[in-house]
Amino acid sequence: MRRRLEKAARAVLAAISIVVLSVSASHALEIKRSKLGNGAVLLVSEQHQLPMVSIAIAFDAGSRRDPAGKEGLAELTAASLEQGTKQLNVAEFNQKIDFMGSSISISADRDYVYASMTSLKKYENNTLHLLAQSLEGPGLRDSDIVRKRGDQVAAIKASEEEPGYTAMVAFAKLLFGNGPYGHPTEGFADTVAKLTPDDVRNFYHRFYRTGGAVIAVAGDVNLGTIRPRIEQELARLAGTVPAQAEPAAPRVAPGIHADLVDRNVVQANMILGCGGIARSNPDYYKVQVMNYILGGGGFSSRLMKEVRSRAGLAYSIDSVFSAGKFPGAFAVVLQTKNQSAQEALKLIIAQMQNIQNQPVSDSELASARKYLIGSFPLRLDRQSQIVSFMLQVELYGLGLDYAERYPKLIGGVTKLDVQETAQKYLRPDALDLVAVANQSVAKINTAALSPPATARR
Amino acid sequence: MDITVRLRCIWLAVCAASTLTIILLSGSVRAGISDNVKYKKLPNGLQALVLENHKAPVATLNVFYRVGSRNETFGETGISHLCEHLMFRGTKKYGPEEFSKIIAENGGEDNAFTSADYTDYFEIINREHLEVAFSLEADRMASFAPKGFDSEKAVVMEERRLRTEDSPQEALEEQVQAAAFTAHPYHWPVIGWMHDIQGLTLQDALKYHAIYYSPQNALVVAVGDFDAAKVMKQIEELFGALANGPKPPPVTEVEPPQQGERQVTLRHAANLPAFAEAFHAPHYRNGSDAFALEIAGEVLGDGKSSRLYKDLVIDKQMVVDVGVEYDMTSFDPSLFWIAAQMRPGVKAADVMAEVDRQLDMLGNQSAAPEELQKAKNLEEAAFVFGQDSIFREAQLLGVYQMLGDYHLVDQYLGGVDKVTAADVQRVIKRYLVKPNRTVGTLVPTGLLPHEAGGGAAGAVHHSLPPGAERILHALGSKPEPVLMPMSSIEAPR
Repeated sequence: MRRRLEKAARAVLAAISIVVLSVSASHALEIKRSKLGNGAVLLVSEQHQLPMVSIAIAFDAGSRRDPAGKEGLAELTAASLEQGTKQLNVAEFNQKIDFMGSSISISADRDYVYASMTSLKKYENNTLHLLAQSLEGPGLRDSDIVRKRGDQVAAIKASEEEPGYTAMVAFAKLLFGNGPYGHPTEGFADTVAKLTPDDVRNFYHRFYRTGGAVIAVAGDVNLGTIRPRIEQELARLAGTVPAQAEPAAPRVAPGIHADLVDRNVVQANMILGCGGIARSNPDYYKVQVMNYILGGGGFSSRLMKEVRSRAGLAYSIDSVFSAGKFPGAFAVVLQTKNQSAQEALKLIIAQMQNIQNQPVSDSELASARKYLIGSFPLRLDRQSQIVSFMLQVELYGLGLDYAERYPKLIGGVTKLDVQETAQKYLRPDALDLVAVANQSVAKINTAALSPPATARR
Repeated sequence: MDITVRLRCIWLAVCAASTLTIILLSGSVRAGISDNVKYKKLPNGLQALVLENHKAPVATLNVFYRVGSRNETFGETGISHLCEHLMFRGTKKYGPEEFSKIIAENGGEDNAFTSADYTDYFEIINREHLEVAFSLEADRMASFAPKGFDSEKAVVMEERRLRTEDSPQEALEEQVQAAAFTAHPYHWPVIGWMHDIQGLTLQDALKYHAIYYSPQNALVVAVGDFDAAKVMKQIEELFGALANGPKPPPVTEVEPPQQGERQVTLRHAANLPAFAEAFHAPHYRNGSDAFALEIAGEVLGDGKSSRLYKDLVIDKQMVVDVGVEYDMTSFDPSLFWIAAQMRPGVKAADVMAEVDRQLDMLGNQSAAPEELQKAKNLEEAAFVFGQDSIFREAQLLGVYQMLGDYHLVDQYLGGVDKVTAADVQRVIKRYLVKPNRTVGTLVPTGLLPHEAGGGAAGAVHHSLPPGAERILHALGSKPEPVLMPMSSIEAPR
């Protein structure tokens, strides 16, 4: 009997690829990858320094799956799964989690749903069981779904008080329209209010499938014990989810397309940008370096230097390329007092043109590479970060040797690459702008901002 | 450069429709953590704590100065925070923002924040380059020479607009704090009043730096993957020769006991009514009461099975969220907060009455043993989870050392463990009562400019607002390889 088990264990181990990522000369992040019987990929990184465990499961059930008119459904489904199981009502469920000091969270972003837990080692099994039960045997009672629907509508109303939130929602709508990224994860107050318990149950049955799911575990665990436990706890969600076609790219038309939202605020909250790239785009690393220099690099970036340090126009300004499963946005995000909105926008557009027209300096390029490569280990410090890293590597097909390849991917970017990338992906001549501001004070004149159309690669 | 914002956690939770798990760091570290800390006080008065932690090839450096808005006076509020900003604007040796640029080139991240009690400058960096951070910190302690004063002051004014003036909850909190404290400097906001900020000069900042930024007023804490003896030696070499300025004057103000409920109303651009209640509360020096208040806070507001969350969010569905906040590690006695944002159509008065009922119940009836145990388990787990971040470890050690002794860190869980149901009843009846309470109510005036009231025209203000963090995440601004929302370092500059 015993021998047979050992043999089985060996067979399992044979199917697990073990990759050691060297994070630095003395530290290595060991990740063990295997495929489970339910179709999911399991990634485990044993971290024995603290008696705690972090687990996250990614399902292909993010808000890009929301049907038209049912925006917010992915998020409501995720939230409803946290409301108890077939055996436990919501009060009993919450009581059990809190008593262990554990946390369980199921929530959507635009691409995926993440079901995650953190617990002390001594409560690992009990917490995992509750998490698995909420995925495999959720209560999904009408009363709980209706209550969560009310929570979601109220939370949207509350968020709308934040000018920055309002700007983000308007910008996504302006850029992506009715596409999968055109609405916030939590949906709109009016679409959420119309969702029914059946909508939620249908979405759950359709998209919570372990085929294509990724499970990442970091913490004080053993592969030998955690793997069979997960296999056993999550055996009933097998099956796959239909693929989703990539949406058409956002339209590009010369000029500045603005949504000027009038609000009783002292600052103009602005987002200026255009279509961006998907995570799978081979130019991703060139874009990282270019954007670091332009506006992603904090105090090392040009936008921060010009708009904050030199002109004193903003407390926070940065630029991002949000690369997802599908092409996301390029966006510059800032807040400035209403009166200086136009001036700040001019400075930003000038910087976009500048990085297209002139090569960056040697020292800027060197700084960007050094930071991006050198800071890599900083983001693998905590368990939650290691879990995130593993999920990203698997979901976006980066390969288990990603950490090793990363310095080369970044280090190979040249000045010419930066300039060409800026020319290819920045559109100072065709931008979307959202400004949530007191418009009578801000007096934004988009016509005066539009630079002449430039020749494009 | 942020400001420690008391209710940050609840408002963060409110704004996130998707559930962000927020682990409250309740000020505790595992028993025995201080055993491995090396401590030294240099001849010039600078204190240093060094702790090895080898789980990742990373090190963190914190330089704490015992100066915050508590050390300010009327008319010059906000000088501590402005001074913090100016610390990045150059020294005799380096130009503006060169500090952050050098740290970034060494694969590190740096920032700072100001609280009412202290100012914390920190770097998280590849362990190979820790010495770079040390020498830059020593340089700006000794040779402060900021350039571009006016534009940095303008940046701080933008920060106030962002954090406070356009944020109804922050603006409400500021008003409650100001009403709760009449004589003690906790009266004014950490960022300062707008008009005070506007009036500050470079001379003010230089004078302030000369008094408060000297070795005798500083504490250096390094935690990470290094050899502690070697790092202690580096600290001695780089900071040991720095000279002291004048001795900082003590803070002598004492808040007189509150003799009756105070109420403030804030009309502000908003959709939903909200309230914030603040009760004067003891701090760490009154250990047994403070620990009992920590447990009372857990029972009332930590987790989805806590009394207020279960009652107001789940069972009665009256509020978007409710938050309870208490921190016993303030330098002077501070406040115990309960705050909530109503669901559409719910009256704040009805929810406040429900909170009163819950406080009465906890004061009059002994909590069940399992409930008390749950509260203690939550504290224990949060303590262990907190140690997963070397940055948090460094912060805790620093805060306790500033309170008198880093060893206190190891007494936290023990103190919490001793709390009985009778202790909880006693502190509820003694502190969480109406005559000791300041209530602030937010009256929403709508979000459009033509609607009456609102907008605190010229009012004041917090670092990245709760919303911004989320927006940046939603847009995917986090650099490689972070994917999911992470409770990142609070308080970016």
